[in-house]
This record gives sequence, C-alpha cells and structure tokens, in this order.
Amino acid sequence: MPGYARHVLVIEDDAETADQLVDCLKSSGYDVDLAVDGEDGLRRALTADYVVMTVDRMLPHIDGIEIIRRLREEGIVTPALILSALGEVDDRVRGLRAGGDDYLVKPFAFREMLARVDALARRSRTMVKETMLRIGDLEIDLLARIARRRGREIELLPREFRLLAYLARNAGQVVSRTMLLQHVWDLHFDPTTNVIDVYVGRVRRKIDSGQDYPLIHTIRGIGFCLRAPE
Amino acid sequence: MLLSKTVRSSSTLKLAFIYVIAFCAAIFGLLGFVYWSTVTYLYEMSDRALSAEGALLTRAYEAGGRDGLVALINRRLTDPYFDDWVYLLVDQSFDYVAGNVTNWPALLPGREGLSTLASKDWQSEAAKRPPLRVSYQLLPDGHHMLLGRDLKDLDRFGENVTIGLASAAILFLILAAAAGISTSRRSVARIEAINATSREIMRSGLGERIPLRGTGDEWDGLAENLNSMLDRIEELVETNRQVSDNVAHDLRTPLTRMRGRLERACNQQLDLSHYRSLVNDTISDLDEILTTFSSLLRISQIEARDRTAAFRNTDLSEIVREVVELFEPTAEEKAIRLQLSAGEAVSVVGDRDLLFDAISNLVDNAIKHGGDRREVRIAVARCADGPVLSISDRGPGIPIEERNHVLRRFYRLERSRNRPGNGLGLSLVAAVANLHNARIVMTDNSPGLRIELRFPIPQRAVPSTFDQQEQPSAIGVHRS
Repeated sequence: MPGYARHVLVIEDDAETADQLVDCLKSSGYDVDLAVDGEDGLRRALTADYVVMTVDRMLPHIDGIEIIRRLREEGIVTPALILSALGEVDDRVRGLRAGGDDYLVKPFAFREMLARVDALARRSRTMVKETMLRIGDLEIDLLARIARRRGREIELLPREFRLLAYLARNAGQVVSRTMLLQHVWDLHFDPTTNVIDVYVGRVRRKIDSGQDYPLIHTIRGIGFCLRAPE
Repeated sequence: MLLSKTVRSSSTLKLAFIYVIAFCAAIFGLLGFVYWSTVTYLYEMSDRALSAEGALLTRAYEAGGRDGLVALINRRLTDPYFDDWVYLLVDQSFDYVAGNVTNWPALLPGREGLSTLASKDWQSEAAKRPPLRVSYQLLPDGHHMLLGRDLKDLDRFGENVTIGLASAAILFLILAAAAGISTSRRSVARIEAINATSREIMRSGLGERIPLRGTGDEWDGLAENLNSMLDRIEELVETNRQVSDNVAHDLRTPLTRMRGRLERACNQQLDLSHYRSLVNDTISDLDEILTTFSSLLRISQIEARDRTAAFRNTDLSEIVREVVELFEPTAEEKAIRLQLSAGEAVSVVGDRDLLFDAISNLVDNAIKHGGDRREVRIAVARCADGPVLSISDRGPGIPIEERNHVLRRFYRLERSRNRPGNGLGLSLVAAVANLHNARIVMTDNSPGLRIELRFPIPQRAVPSTFDQQEQPSAIGVHRS
C-alpha cells in the first residue's frame, strides 16, 4: 500500500494524551501529524491528504464537531474518529450527525482506539465491494450468505453470519466488543457483561472446531480478531 | 403597632383595601341617594301643606272678605297644631293687618308662589327668625299675604338622616377595613409560617416542615403539598448521599488495592513477569472502576435528560427476540433454557438502545440468579392497559421488603455480595423504565422472581424506525 495511505492526523490539545496517541499510532506503522488546537487541525486537514483523523471533542478555538462540519462542507471526507470525554448518550449522536464516522468515549484503551483507526483506514482504502471473502480455508459468500470451511458449509444463524462477515471484512485487525455491538447489533452502548464473548464463543465453535487451525482469536482486554496463520 | 411591616407590604392587604374603597364608594352612593330622595320627599310634603293652607285661606277671603281672612288667621294663631306656622297679612302699603310677625321681609321676591327665606331676609334684628319656607300671595284688593312654615324641624330631620347614614357608612368602612386587615393578617401569617420554615431549611437542613392548622383549607393544602415536596427532596438527597457513600466505597476498595500494588512494585525488586502481571491486574482493576463510573454516568444522564424527543415507535417483541438471541449462548453455557413467547409485534414508543440495554440487564440477572431450576420465561404481551414484558425465573427471588431497595444504585442483596456485578443493573432498568413511563412490578413466581415492565399504551404518533433498524445487509460495507 502507498505510503500516504498511512498518514494520520491527530487533533488533541492535552499534551500527554497527544503524546500517547502519536506513540501508539506510530508504533503500529502510521505516519502521524499532530495539531494541538482546532485552527491548526482544520488547516492541516484542509491542506493534506490523510487516511484517518482523530478529533478531540473539546478543543480550544474551534471544537471538534465544528472542525468536522467545516471539513464536510468543504467536501473533505477523511474518516474522523471523535474522542470525547463528554457523556456518550446524546453527544455520540451529535458527533455522528456532524459527519464524524466513529466515536470513542474517554478514557479508552489505546488498542480499542487503534482498532477503530484501523477500521476507518481500511474503509477509506477499500471502497470496492467484494462479495466473496477468503481467509485461510474459510470462504464467505456475502450474496448467498453462506460460509464454508474447506468447502463444507457451516450452519449459522443470520446474526452469527453477520458477526462472521464483520470479522472477515476486518480480517487481521482487532475488533472490539463495542464495535461488534455497534456493527452487528446496531446498538450504541458498551456491554458490561461477557455476553458478547460467549456469543462469539459459539460462533467460534461452529467455525473452528475440528479444523486444522483456529481462525477466531480472542485478544485479551480488547476483543477479537479473525486471521489465518501466516 | 397594629400592622407589622410584612402585613403593611402584603399584597393581600392592598387588595383588601381596594375592595373596601370600591365597596365604600358604592355604599356612599346608595346612602346619598337615600338621603337625597328622603329629604326631597319631606320638602315636597311640606310645600304641599303650605299650598293647601294657602288655598284654605284664599277660600276664607273669597267667602268672608278681609275680615273673614283675619278671623281665620287669628283662629290659626291660637291653634297649637299650627305652632310652627307663620302668618302675615299686610295692606297695600305693607302695613300690618294680622299675623304673628309684624314686618314684611324686605327681600321677598315680587312674584307669588313658594320660596325660602333665610334669617337675614327679615328687616329688623328683633324679628329674626329661623329659615322659613314661605308662600306669598297677592290678594285681589291689594293686600299681601305671607304664609310660612318653620324649616327647623325638617332640617333637624334631614340632619338626623344624614347622621344616621354617615354613621352607617363609617361603621361599614371600619368593619370592611377590619375584615380586610384580619384576612390579610391571616394570609400573611400563613405565608410567614411558610417563609420561616423555608429560612429554617436554608439555615439548618431539610428536617423542618410547615405546621398544619388542621383546617383543611387551601393554606393547609399548600402546606401539605410543600411538605410532601420536601419529603421527596429529602428522600432524593438521602438517596444521593447513599449513592456517593457507595461510590466512595466501591471506588476506594479497588483504588486502595491498586495503590498498594504500585507501592510494592516501587519498593521491591521484582522480575519482569511480576511487573507485567502487576500492571495487567492494575489495568483490569482500572477498567472495572471505569465501567462502574460510566454506568453511573449513563444512569444519571438517562435520569436527567428528556430524551423522549428521540423516541420512536419500536417493536418490543423484536427487541426482546434480539436480546434473547444474544443471551442464548450464555444461557446454554449455564444449562438454562430461555423460553420466549413473543409472537406478534407489540409497539412501544421508546429508545431502542436503552430498551435493549435494560432488557439485557433483566435477562442477565435472571440467568445469573435464576437458581438451579434451569428455566427463564420471557414473555411480551399486549394487555388492556398497555404492553407488558415479563421475565420469570425459578431462583430464590427477592424478599418483599427488599423489592423497593433493589432499584437503588449499588444496592445488592446480602447473598449476592460476593458475586461479580456492581449493583447498578436494576438502577439502569429503573431509569430506563422511568423515562418510558413504564412501571416495574416485582412479584413472587413461587419460587423465583417475576419482574414486569408495564408500558403505557402508545399514544403519540411518532415516526417508525422499523426499517432503519435493520442493518442494510451483510454486503453494505459501512454506513456512510
């Protein structure tokens, strides 16, 4: 993939959080630009081509939602992850309505943040709509809604199929529980029980049991990852 | 001092005075009319008597000439009934002929008829008389006849009427003012009692209550309402205090643990794997705190905000089916059967995310505390008074006396203290139920707990989100 496609803009006014964000993104291979206030952030986002940006909700001069609104007015569609310390319930809706693409409430685990940035980066890269996904010996037909492993069809409930398809579209990347709840169940809150783990566990049994190698991996503290061995 | 400062500045008193003034104006008008018509009537009667007497004298003159008239006048003068009458007959040159006065009044108008003579109208000092009502006649032979009647009695009568009416008016004024003042003082006293209680509450705390008089009047009604409002506020403050105590407790415990752990790490030489596990433990403790913290925030947000603007027609059965489907593997793992009866669509006006979260909590609780009887029944029904969701387990249930408490934040039954959970699940359910005007009803499932969410009958016509809820399809890569 071309170098510029890994270019991320971080707009964050708290110095320590900004440092941590930049470190975290750099160590997973992104080039990072940092803007410490809203004006700087807006100027950079308008002039350079970023693959993803993270925007702090509350910023000096211009606040995060305003930045995204202005960018969208200018026709700049760089995916934006809003990082907010404000309560989630209504603010999430406002952020997404202003043109934000994802929303994460502070404090967050950095791996969760990274998982979201990865998902958004992939999204801006691959707008091609594939109908057949292949991960190792797993084959997912999105049109027929059929999953096969080593050519044998796996019986899945509709929701289980959706979960598998979401994992498969993000193959090789970590997907958090909250992301699953959001994209598979269309629910916007953080699960407080381990119900998602157990649900994924059942899908995993259907996919992985009796196979040569496991495909669905649990990433401790964060979520799950669908990947074939190297 | 008759009126305290508060009474004097009271709006009730001002209002009372306005009423008193208006009533007085009306009463004075009425009494004035009574006075005027009475006095007019009396004077008319008097004038009529004068005219009648004049006519009588004229007839005596016509019958008996001048001598006949003089004879009648002289008869009248000795008659005690005509004591207060004045007769005077003079000739052409105004010289005395007969009567009980001697001088012709100087200022008598030249015309015949009725007029009033004041004292000063008499020529000589000696003949000064009280005011008279007189009738003057010019007889055919040039004699002048003056017939008068003393106005003294009439005037006294008029005065008496005036005094009577004025006393009535003054008495009325006093009574009205007294009534106004006493009403104002009563109102002001009751308001002052309420004010005093408010000041006392601001000064010392929520323990004070407004005293009731037991009269059952509107003041008592107001005091009762204010008192129950204070009860409610006190209850909320108490709940809040308990919540903060619990927050402090629930947060301090893991924080203390973490602090101790970090202190040890700082002071002791440990190998790398020890450090790593220590950091990992600390992160999961922190995550626990953060989860508790955001659950609390979420509950307060739900409680504080009017989110009904975002309410949509949602299908309760659909949500419950999704929740049950999500929990199926968890239940399976614990060998519990989830029995769902939710067939037809049951519409409620609400927020899908919040309803899903609340119902998840209930199902989660039922699975966790459902006991060994391996069955949780979940049903959605459309009842006469609205949609009802019920979740029944076969566990130990909740004792009746604790059913009200379990909805409180951080409240945990004694037996589940050591199990995982933060005691916030049912508080969230309660907050969501409240927002949806739904009632939570807990009954004995003997054995077990049956918990119901009773929703009101949906009334508002709101846009439906049935279509938007469905994620486009597995192919639609992302929402844009």
